[in-house]
This record gives sequence, structure tokens and C-alpha cells, in this order.
Amino acid sequence: MSSSSRSGGSFRDPSGFLFVRDGTLYRQINQIYRPSYDQLIDSGLYAELVALGCLIPHESAATPPAEPATASLVIQPEPVPFISYPYEWSFSQLQDAALITLEIQQRALKRGLSLKDASAYNIQFHRGRPLLIDTLSFEPYREGEPWVAYRQFCQHFLAPLALMSLRDIRLGQLLRLHIDGVPLDLAARLLPRRSRLRVGLLTHLHLHAVSQKRFAGAEVRSTERRGRVSRIGFLGLIDSLRRTVAGLRWEPGRTDWAEYDRMHNYSAAAQADKRRIVGEYLDRARPASLWDLGANTGEFSRLASSRGISTIAFDVDPSAVEANYRSVRREGEKSLLPLLMDLTNPSPAQGWGHEERQALVARGPADAVMALALVHHLAIGNNVPLPQLAGFLAALGRWLIIEFVPKSDSQVRRMMAAREDIFTDYTREGFEQAFGVFYHLHLASQIAESDRTLYLWEQR
Amino acid sequence: MEVIMSGWIPDLVTQLAPPAYLDPGSGSYLIQLLVAGALGAALVIRMQWDRIKNMFRRKDEKSSDPDEHVE
Repeated sequence: MSSSSRSGGSFRDPSGFLFVRDGTLYRQINQIYRPSYDQLIDSGLYAELVALGCLIPHESAATPPAEPATASLVIQPEPVPFISYPYEWSFSQLQDAALITLEIQQRALKRGLSLKDASAYNIQFHRGRPLLIDTLSFEPYREGEPWVAYRQFCQHFLAPLALMSLRDIRLGQLLRLHIDGVPLDLAARLLPRRSRLRVGLLTHLHLHAVSQKRFAGAEVRSTERRGRVSRIGFLGLIDSLRRTVAGLRWEPGRTDWAEYDRMHNYSAAAQADKRRIVGEYLDRARPASLWDLGANTGEFSRLASSRGISTIAFDVDPSAVEANYRSVRREGEKSLLPLLMDLTNPSPAQGWGHEERQALVARGPADAVMALALVHHLAIGNNVPLPQLAGFLAALGRWLIIEFVPKSDSQVRRMMAAREDIFTDYTREGFEQAFGVFYHLHLASQIAESDRTLYLWEQR
Repeated sequence: MEVIMSGWIPDLVTQLAPPAYLDPGSGSYLIQLLVAGALGAALVIRMQWDRIKNMFRRKDEKSSDPDEHVE
């Protein structure tokens, strides 16, 4: 029997865990959870949620369990091609993930089940929409008991959304620091006073934080745990959370990058030529998956995704990622996933043993990487030497479509206006030499009416 | 003794169900006990109000109200 390895993040729940064998992902369901799993299926909840696209479908698996002593069953969930984390999501992505969690909870309650956790890491974007990937999240609903996942929901979803909406969009990054969601007392302190005027935020964040602090370490007597939240009270709680989450708004602002389209360096002819060349390179490389780095609102990402290529559009600007996601959602695009990523400080490995959440590089490589209008921002804007840049990109994908922006370009001249030119190797020759170490050149074309050159490289 | 006895049978029921591994937080439990009643009542009122609104909408089907959103 070939060996299996248990997934790094999957250890807290005794109900079961994920493991990989021969490159396939499986989920072991332990005996202790089997009755709840059976109820998930028999109640019709599984079928309902899968039909709605809210829950990842699975098949029964013939493979033996990874830990037979505790196992009851092994299932094979449909794989999600790319795992992303809530600190990589835009405002609306996090909001949609929160709303789908609550919708799942409402539907579960109707069939006598309830979510036993409400972690943002249980939601993934798959074919453009958020869904629950943890099939073992359900437990039988016992009327009278409060929601065990209420604290987690407020910390993972409500607190960061409120902070992003009412204080600053960048506060979403607190999720990177606090792996079990933003502590409520911190959120309460950072939120503006006017947030207390909203009943939902007052209740679920401010009063909740006070209650947490007041009763920290207090023992909840078993009678209290069981007696006092009626079914309608529970439904009222969920509905109140839903209305509070849905009532939060954030509009992408005018940032440097939002102005980009107005200020960019291409004439209409140049823009059209660039699109034509990129299309040609995509048709030549024919990748199955592609990472578009510095994708902005996804104009060029869509040249890939419209060809059926599984595409991820990374950008550092929350406004750009938000605008991109709203398009994906509105148009029902299935092959494009916009994500927030700072390439000069990409998502690191996180959690217990550095194993619960993977670094960006560990989630690759992709078949192809696209780096358009990017090189000068990293090499000049961030002082990354070209050979190091080439090495980094080579770790991310086999093919590379990259645009070299020379010093004569007006944007580069603007970047260097107040700086000393220490970039002696930043020339077309220096560029080709640095990348030639890792890649073999297929094609190079100068963009019409422009100083810029597009390259198609393939790893050696 | 009384407190122990009244908790005994429900304890059995809990033993048979799988344990919730998550720490719900005592403060988070207690605040739910406090607010669930009010939130439940608010939900019921809202549901009734929607029902009343729907009754009136059916009566004047011809008048269009673009400001109204159906939840």
C-alpha cells in the first residue's frame, strides 16, 4: 500500500482529516463522526447544497484510510485547483464568503443540522464562486443550544469586513496576523465610534467583545449551555448576522492604479498590438493554468481565461482586485480568480509548524506566468536585481510571458526622476542575459508604437 | 444534588453526538443567551411585515413601486 501524507492544516477536528495518496486528495471520516455524516446525506442537505453550488461534491473512495484505527469511511472530494486564503481576498470576496456561510447555516437548520465551525478557511473560490469545502462541518442541531461557531464567525468574517468598510481597506490584512480571525476587542477598539450606531455591529462586535472579556475563563454551566436559545432565537441570530454583513459596503477608490488606465503609455494601436501578441503567445504555449502577476483589473488575464485557461489574477491594489472580482461575479466567469498579492512580500507559510497555510510559491507552479508592465516596478521601483527576479519567476511557472519596459519609457523616466541611476544592468541585453540563465527564448516582439518588448520564454 | 440530576439525561445525549472541537468561548455563549430572544422576535415581526406587504402588493398589481425591494 502506498504511503499517504496527512495535510498540514488538517488536524484540529477529531471528526476526520484530509490526506494525499498518489497525488490524489482524500478525506478520512472517523467513526465518531459517521452518524453526523449519514445525517448530512440522509437529510438531503448534501444534495441540496451541492445542487446550489454551495458545497464541494465528493465521491466515495475505494482507497484504504490513512489511519485505520479511527476510520469509518474515506471520500474523495472534487479538487479545488488553487487554494486561497481570506487575507488574499478583496472586500466582496470576503463578504460573499461570509454570506454563503450564513446561507448554508440557514439551509442546514431547516434539515436539523448546524455548522459546528464557521472558519473563513473552510470557504474556497471554485469556478468563480465561494463554496464550503469542509464536508465534516455539520453536526445535528440541538434546539436550546447557542451557536458554537458564533465567535468564530464574528472574528473571521464580521470583524474584518467592518474594519475594511468603516476604517481602512488595508485592515483586512489583520487576518494574516491573526489566524483565528480578528480578536473582537481589537476590532472594537479600531472601529470608529459611529459603528456603535449600527445595531448589528453594536451587538455582534462591541457587546460581544465586552461579554468575551467579562466572562473570559468563566465556566459555563451545563444548564446554561443547553437551555435558553430557542429555534426562532437562533434563526433570528443568523438573520441578524446576515443583514449586518450584507449592510457593509466598500467602494473601490481612486488609487494610483485606478488612475493607471488614464495615464498608461499605450496608444490605441499599441494596446491592440499588445493584446494580439499576448494572444499569439498564449496560443503558442497552450498552458492549462496561468498566473497573471500585477494583473490590475484583469484585462490581459481575460485573454487567458477566455481561452479556457485556469487563470489567477494577482494584484497589490485592493481596488483593482475588487473591480476584477465584481466583473467575474457579474459575468459568471468560471476560469478567473482575482486575488490580492504583494509580490515584494507575498503570503508566507503560516500557522502551527508553518504548515497550516501555504506560502504562495508552495501553491505553484503554474503552467505559465504572465508579467506585463511589471518588471520595471520590481527592478527599479523595488531594487530587485534582474537575475533574482528571473529566479523568482522561474519557480512560479514553466512558461513566461513578460514585457520588458526600457529606461526610455516615460513611466520609467518618471520613476527615476528623483533617483540616482544605479541600474546599470537594466538594459535589454541585461534582461535577456538574466532570463536566459533560467529560460530558453521562443519569441520576442516589439509592441507597435512603443518602446516595450514582449517575450515568450520557456524554462530550460 | 438536584442540579446534577437535572443535567444528567441531557448529558447522555451530548455524549452520543460527536464533540464540537471548537472553543466557542463562554462570553460568546452568554451574549447569545442575552440577545437571541430579541433577535428572534425581530425576525418574526419582520416576517409578518413582509407578509402584510405582500398582501397589499397582490391587491394593486398594476401599480409599480420601483423603490421596493423584495428580500
